[in-house]
Amino acid sequence: MLALVVVRDGSLPAGGDEVVAECGGRVLLIGSGTAAALDDLRGAVTDARLVEAGAFRPGAWSAGLAVLLADDPVVVLPHSADGRDLAPRLAHALDRPLLAHAMVVGTTTVELIRAGGTELHSVVAPAAFVATLHPGLRGVERTVTTEPNVREQVLPAAIDAIDAEVVATFAADAATLDLAEAPRIVAGGAGLDSADRFEQLAALGAVLGASVGATRVVTDRGWVGHDRQIGTTGVVVDPQLYLAFGISGAVQHTSGLGAPAHVISVNTDAHCPMMQLADLAIVADANATLDALLARLGTLEVAHG
Amino acid sequence: MDDEPDVDVIVVGGGPAGACAALVAARAGLSTVLLERGPFPGSKNMYGGVVYPRILDRLIPNWWETAPIQRWVTRRSTMVLTDTQALTVDYRTEAWGKPPYNGATAYRPDFDHWLAGHAEAAGAQLVCDTTAVGLLRGASGRIVGVRTDRPGGDLRARVVIACDGVNSFLAKEAGLFEHTDAKHYTLGVKETLALPKEVIDERFGVRGREGVDIEMIGCTSGVNGGGFLYTNLDSVAVGVVLKLPKLAAQQLRPEEIIARMKRHPAIAPLIEGADLKEYSAHLIPEAGLAMMPKMTTDGMLVAGDAAALCLAAGIWLEGVNFAMASGMYAGEAVVEAVRNGDVGVEGLAGYQRRLSETFVLKDHRRLRRAPEIVLSDRVQHLYPAMVAGIAERMFQVDNPAPKPRLRTILKQERKRVGIRRRDLARDGLDGLRTFG
Amino acid sequence: MIAACVKWVAGVPEPGDERFAGISAADQAAVELALRHGASMGDDVVVVTAGPPAAERALREALAAGATRAVRVDLPADATSSDVATALAGVVGDAAFVWCGDYSTDRGSGSVPAFLAAERSARQALGAVAVDLADGATISVTRRLDGGRREVSTVSAPAVVSVEGAVARLRRAGLAGVLAARTAPIEVRRPAVVVPDVAAIVHAYRPRARTLPPPHGSTLDRLRELTDAAAAPAHGETVHLDPADAADRILTALRAWSYLT
Ligand SMILES: Cc1cc2nc3c(=O)[nH]c(=O)nc-3n(C[C@H](O)[C@H](O)[C@H](O)COP(=O)(O)OP(=O)(O)OC[C@H]3O[C@@H](n4cnc5c(N)ncnc54)[C@H](O)[C@@H]3O)c2cc1C
Ligand SMILES: Cc1cc2nc3c(=O)[nH]c(=O)nc-3n(C[C@H](O)[C@H](O)[C@H](O)COP(=O)(O)OP(=O)(O)OC[C@H]3O[C@@H](n4cnc5c(N)ncnc54)[C@H](O)[C@@H]3O)c2cc1C
Ligand SMILES: Nc1ncnc2c1ncn2[C@@H]1O[C@H](COP(=O)(O)O)[C@@H](O)[C@H]1O
Repeated sequence: MLALVVVRDGSLPAGGDEVVAECGGRVLLIGSGTAAALDDLRGAVTDARLVEAGAFRPGAWSAGLAVLLADDPVVVLPHSADGRDLAPRLAHALDRPLLAHAMVVGTTTVELIRAGGTELHSVVAPAAFVATLHPGLRGVERTVTTEPNVREQVLPAAIDAIDAEVVATFAADAATLDLAEAPRIVAGGAGLDSADRFEQLAALGAVLGASVGATRVVTDRGWVGHDRQIGTTGVVVDPQLYLAFGISGAVQHTSGLGAPAHVISVNTDAHCPMMQLADLAIVADANATLDALLARLGTLEVAHG
Repeated sequence: MDDEPDVDVIVVGGGPAGACAALVAARAGLSTVLLERGPFPGSKNMYGGVVYPRILDRLIPNWWETAPIQRWVTRRSTMVLTDTQALTVDYRTEAWGKPPYNGATAYRPDFDHWLAGHAEAAGAQLVCDTTAVGLLRGASGRIVGVRTDRPGGDLRARVVIACDGVNSFLAKEAGLFEHTDAKHYTLGVKETLALPKEVIDERFGVRGREGVDIEMIGCTSGVNGGGFLYTNLDSVAVGVVLKLPKLAAQQLRPEEIIARMKRHPAIAPLIEGADLKEYSAHLIPEAGLAMMPKMTTDGMLVAGDAAALCLAAGIWLEGVNFAMASGMYAGEAVVEAVRNGDVGVEGLAGYQRRLSETFVLKDHRRLRRAPEIVLSDRVQHLYPAMVAGIAERMFQVDNPAPKPRLRTILKQERKRVGIRRRDLARDGLDGLRTFG
Repeated sequence: MIAACVKWVAGVPEPGDERFAGISAADQAAVELALRHGASMGDDVVVVTAGPPAAERALREALAAGATRAVRVDLPADATSSDVATALAGVVGDAAFVWCGDYSTDRGSGSVPAFLAAERSARQALGAVAVDLADGATISVTRRLDGGRREVSTVSAPAVVSVEGAVARLRRAGLAGVLAARTAPIEVRRPAVVVPDVAAIVHAYRPRARTLPPPHGSTLDRLRELTDAAAAPAHGETVHLDPADAADRILTALRAWSYLT
C-alpha cells in the first residue's frame, strides 16, 4: 500500500498524515514543497518518494502518476479537496477501480462510508485499486524512529492533458481562521430552537474564550454564517475543548473536529454519536441549559493557559 | 368574446374530489388539467383515517384490488365516556372484511396519490407544486380559467372545477360562499401512533387486514366534540374534532385534550407504549346544509369540502366519499355541458340535480340537524354521565339490597345529572326524527 | 452544447417510493447554471441522467425549466461511478461544458464528475461554492481547499464543473413549460452491459477506533493525570439532569479541567 498526498507550498492536506499511517509509512508526496511536508510527517514515514511538480494539476498529473505508480497495486489518497479531485482521474489512468470515501483501507477488506454517513459497506479489496480515506477518523501514531528512506522522482510529462487555470488562492478569512485555530469551541446544532441561541453561545464563548461553531443544518438555516460550519464541507478544527449543544454528531461533522481533549455534549438523545464521543454527556434540553448557563455567566472567571 | 381556452377543464385540487372530477372528464375525452399545490396529490392532506370507497365501484372496477388500504374495518365501536367510566356498543361482522367491503383505513398520501394516478392514466394532465391563486374572468364576467403561481401561470378553460378543500379560496373568490363564520367549522386534530402490527392485532382483537373504528363521545374535556381511534396496519390514529367557539372559550389546547383522552382508563391500555409519529390539524366544514355554497356559477362548479359537503355529525365523520361522489358528478355534468355547448349555470344544472338525487344531498338533508343534536350541551356533557350511571347500577350487585328496577334507575340517574324529563323526551324525539 | 448531469436518488423516508425521490439541491443548482450558461452562449442545453425510468420526472422538470433536450441512459442503480461516467460521456461527449452536483446524496463520493472529465480529457473544477459565468467561454470558479482556504480558477471548454447546492437555485418553471414537458420526448439509451459495483456487506455506521499519539510529558505529569481527582470527573460519563443542574455540572467540569477558575 502506498499513500499519495498532494502538497501545496509545503503544507499537507487534511488527513495527509492518516493515509501515510494507513499505508504503514510508505508515501509519495507530489506538488510544491514536498521536502518541507515530509518534515511534518516525522515519525510516521518509513519510505518517501518526493515529486516536485508545482501547482496542482489533476489532469496532467494523473497520466504521469500512472507511470510512477504502475507497480503499487494499492494507492490511498486522503478524501480532502485535492485528494477527491485527483483519485478518480488516477483510477481512470491506471484503469483500476476506485473505492472512494473509505473509513478503513486494507489489502483484504475496505470499509466505505455510504448513505450520507449512516452506513458502512465492507467490500473485499480487489487486487489493485485506488482509494480515498475520510480525514479525521483514523488518528496517527508517530512511532517510526529511523530516518525515512527518501527518493526524488520526476513526473513523466503528459502530452495533451489540460487543467483549470488557478487564478488565486485565498487564506481562510479571519472569521474562518478564528474558528479553525480556536483552542476552545462552543457549537450548536439542530437541537437549538432559534437563531437567538447563537447569540447565547457567543456570550458563553466570550466568557470561556471560545469561538462559536455550528453544524451544516444550522448554517443551511442561515442562523450563522457558513464560515461557522465545522466538518468535512466546512472548517476543520482542532480545539482543546468542545461544547456541543443539540448536535447529533454525524460523521461529516465530527470528522472535522480533530481530537479535543475535552468534549461536553448536551442532547436529549443519550445514544447519538456526539454523546458517545463526549467526556461528559448530559441528557437535557440544550435550550434551557443555555438559559441556565447564561444566568450564571456574570460570576464566572476564565482560566487562561 | 372570451379568449380561446387552452384546455376543456381545469380541476383545482388533487384531493379525492379533484381526482374523481378529473378522472371522469378525462375519460370522456375532454382535455383536462389537474392542479395540485403539494409536491404530489395527498402529500399535505390529513383526515381521521376511514374511507368508504363504495362509490368507486362506478369509476374503478375492483378498486379494492389496487387501492392502498391499511385495514378493512370489520369492527365498529361507539363509546360513551365519563372521566372514569366507559360504555361501549361494539359491532363486528365478517361481511365488511370481503368484497365489496364497507369502510377501510388508509393514509391520505397513499390514497390520494393512487386515485389521482387513475385520473392521470385516463389522460388528465397532473401538474403538481402549482397553486391556483386567482380566477380569470371573461368580458361577460364568466369564469374562463385560473391564475397559478407559476411564471406565465394563466390557464384558460371552458370550465373550472374547484376542489380546493375546506375554506375554498376559489369558491369565495367566485362569490359562491357566504358563510365563513367560525361557528360552522370544527377543528380536527390527530396523532398517529406507531405500534407493531401484532400488538394492534392482539389489543383490538383483529387479524390479517381486519381493522377497528372507534368513535367516542364525552372525552373532549368539556369542549363540544367527539373523539376517534382507528387502526392502521402498524399505527393507530387517535384524534378529536372540536367546536371552535367552545375551544376558544375554554382556552384549552387541542394537544391537551388528546393527551387527556389518551390517559382515559378505557383508551390508555390500547395505545400503551406507542411512539408518536405525526401530529396534524385541519378544519372541517361541519354545519352541512346550513353552510353549503351555491354549487355552480357561469364556467365553474365546486365539489368536495370546497362545497362544504363533508358530513360531520358526531359519530359520522365522512368526507372522502362525499368528495369522491361530488367530484364524479361534477365531472359528469361538465362533460354533458361541454358536449351541449353551454357551460353557464343552466348548462351545468345537471350537477345540482345529480347531487340532489343521490346520497350526497339526501344524507345531508336527512341528517341536517345531527351536528346540532350530537354537539348540543346535553348530549355532550349530561347524557354520557347518565348513560354510564345507568349501566353501572344495572350491572352492579349491591347485595343484600335487591336489584333496582330499570325505571327507578333511569329516574334517579336523570335527576342525579340534572336533566329535566321534558328535555329528555324532546331530545329523544329529535333523535328519532333525525337518525330513525 | 452545454450539459447538466442529474442523479435520481430514491427517497427518504421510504426508499424506492418514487413520491419521495428526486435530485439533490446540488444537481438542481447544476441544471440552473447550465440553463444560464446556455442562454448566455445561445447554446442548447441537454440534461442527462443515468438511472431508472422514474428518473424521467427529473428530466421533465429540467425540460420545463428550459432545457432543450433530455436523455436517460438506462443503467442499474448499482453501476460503479466510472461506468456511470462512461455512460454519461457517451451522451455529453461533445458538450463544451458539463455541469454536475458536487456529491450525490445517497452513496455519493463526488467522483462521477472527475471520471467524466478523465473520460473526455476535459478540464475539471469540482465543488464550486461560487461561479462567475463571465463571458461564457471562460468561466471562473471558487472552490474550497482544506482548512477554510479557497481557490479561484478559470476553465474553458471542454470542462466539467461540479457545484454545491447553495450556488444557485433552480428557477421555477413556467406553466406552459410544465405542460409542454409532460409529453416532450425523452431519448433513452441502453448501454452495453455494465458490471455491478463490488458486492458489499452493509452495517450501520460506527466510528473506527482512533489511534492516538503516545502520551507525552514527564512520568510525574502522567501519573498526576491518571491519579488526579480533578481530572477524574467525566470521562465517558452520561448523566440525566434538569437544565439548572446541567448548567452547574458543566461549570463544575470546566473548573475541574481548568478552563474556568
Ligand atoms: C457531503 C456531505 C457533507 C456534509 N458536510 C457537513 C459539514 O461539513 N458539517 C456538518 O455539520 N454537517 C455536514 N453534513 C451534514 C451532516 O450529515 C448532518 O446532517 C449534520 O451534521 C447534522 O447536524 P445536527 O447535528 O445539527 O442535526 P441533527 O442530526 O438533526 O441533530 C440534532 C440533534 O439535536 C438533538 N436535540 C433535539 N432537540 C433537542 C433539545 N431540545 N435539546 C438538546 N438536544 C436536542 C437531537 O437529539 C439530535 O441529536 C454533510 C452532509 C453531506 C451529505
Ligand atoms: C381530523 C379530520 C378527520 C377526518 N376524518 C375523516 C374520516 O375518517 N373519513 C372521511 O371520509 N373523511 C374524514 N374527514 C373529512 C375529509 O378529510 C374531507 O372531507 C376530504 O378530504 C375532502 O376531500 P376534498 O378533495 O374535497 O378536499 P381535500 O382532501 O382537502 O383536497 C384538496 C386538495 O386541493 C389542494 N389545493 C387546495 N388549494 C389549492 C389551490 N389553490 N391550488 C391548487 N391546489 C389546491 C390541496 O393541496 C389538496 O390536495 C376528516 C377531516 C378531518 C380534518
Ligand atoms: N447516475 C447518474 N446520472 C447522472 N449524473 C450523475 C449520476 N451519478 C452522479 N452524477 C453526477 O455526479 C455528481 C456527483 O455524484 P457522485 O459522484 O455520485 O457523488 C452528481 O451530483 C451528478 O451531477
